Amino acid sequence: MLWPILILTGIGLVCGILILVVNRVLPKEPATLKKAEEVNENLPGMNCGACGYPGCFSYAQALSKDKKVFYSNTCTTVLQDEKMLSGIEKVLDLKVDKSSLNMKAVVSCSGNCENIGTYTGVATCKTASKILRGFKRCPYSCLGLGDCIETCPQNAIHLDIDTNIAAIDPEKCNGCGLCVKECPRNVIKLIPANSKIVFLCNYQDLRDIPGREKCDSGCIKCRKCVKACTNEAITWNKDKSIPEFDLEKCNNCRACIEACPQKILVELDNINKKSSK
Amino acid sequence: MNSSASLITIFIGMAIINNMILTQFLGLCPFFGVSKKLSNAISMGIAVTFVMLLAATATSVIYNYILVPYEIEFMDIIIYILVIAALVQIVEITIRRTNIILYNALGIYLPLITTNCAVLGIALINATNNYSIAQSMVSALGAGVGFTLVLIIMSGIRERLELGEAPKSLRGLPVAFVTAALLALAFMGFSGLL
Repeated sequence: MLWPILILTGIGLVCGILILVVNRVLPKEPATLKKAEEVNENLPGMNCGACGYPGCFSYAQALSKDKKVFYSNTCTTVLQDEKMLSGIEKVLDLKVDKSSLNMKAVVSCSGNCENIGTYTGVATCKTASKILRGFKRCPYSCLGLGDCIETCPQNAIHLDIDTNIAAIDPEKCNGCGLCVKECPRNVIKLIPANSKIVFLCNYQDLRDIPGREKCDSGCIKCRKCVKACTNEAITWNKDKSIPEFDLEKCNNCRACIEACPQKILVELDNINKKSSK
Repeated sequence: MNSSASLITIFIGMAIINNMILTQFLGLCPFFGVSKKLSNAISMGIAVTFVMLLAATATSVIYNYILVPYEIEFMDIIIYILVIAALVQIVEITIRRTNIILYNALGIYLPLITTNCAVLGIALINATNNYSIAQSMVSALGAGVGFTLVLIIMSGIRERLELGEAPKSLRGLPVAFVTAALLALAFMGFSGLL
């Protein structure tokens, strides 16, 4: 009766002593690791990879070695969250100017594009875009098969049933940019989060305008928005043939929104309430 | 009194014929939990193989030199739990201090494996079969390889299944259960090989 008890106790003791010895003998963890763990506590822990590192912990390690990484590879989820941001600022001794780093993803297409045929292949945008430049009339439009919906770590993207294209909820979007990389037609753009006006056309052939045969609601390059602007906040980019917005000059008068004949200028807050034509 | 089975027989027997997951139904938790992605399945498989090998070696030493001479084989489960938990703890500390990258790759899985029934199962199977230390190590290696093999097959199938259009009620885990059942049936074909 005594032996089993003694042996079990003995094995337990030996195991405990072994752990103690291993703990003592091995070299202590480097100081950066401790810091990395502190940083890691203030990271979202979703391991989305948008910062360019394989996971939150490797990002934390990189940050603890060189805090400038935060500017070159910004974690956008941290930017959105006051608590995480202040935690990181404290641990890393940083001062972050939020407005210059914060971005929102926007689907720069107004939808309602007609199909040129029936597509019955694998239901991903990547596959569909390889066949005849996609099944929509405009080769630059959103295909609406939802590759971006799958990839969004915030579940901020849904399929708009009125327009049949992806729609991003600006409140949920943290600007990580994963959908931008995912979209095979480069329809999704990152814009500064404090932008007021969003331009919803992705047409890229500079020689011509989309015209009626490509899209009913594409930009027709009329430049009415430039003329309508009361504060010279909109300039025409000749190289890309699109309007550009100066955030500091914009006085939120909404003149350009009303002037646009195609109704493809909308406010960022109202982006999902755009009228379906 | 050790068993006289040859090492190759033990290895093939544990890896394929008496496969941990599909024939003995041990370690089903990681089988469904970690088989969604091929890369995760491979790291889990390697971690389990490693821990199994360590645990089987340690427990068979204890079995052959402590439990059998003092005739307290009935204590095997509680002693094995103690030893395996301590071992995994030591391994975790060692990996953490020496190779942080490996620790991050295995880190989540190592504590999970501590209480994995497959690891305890292999120690108990070795004990019931009266395997010597070398035989125990080979049988643990075989079990680990078999575990990894099934995890890789399953994750490969599940990655494909994600692309296919299953009926709505079957999507996700239900179709994985059906797949697992078919896989187990297929592995039954190996019975009687040796």
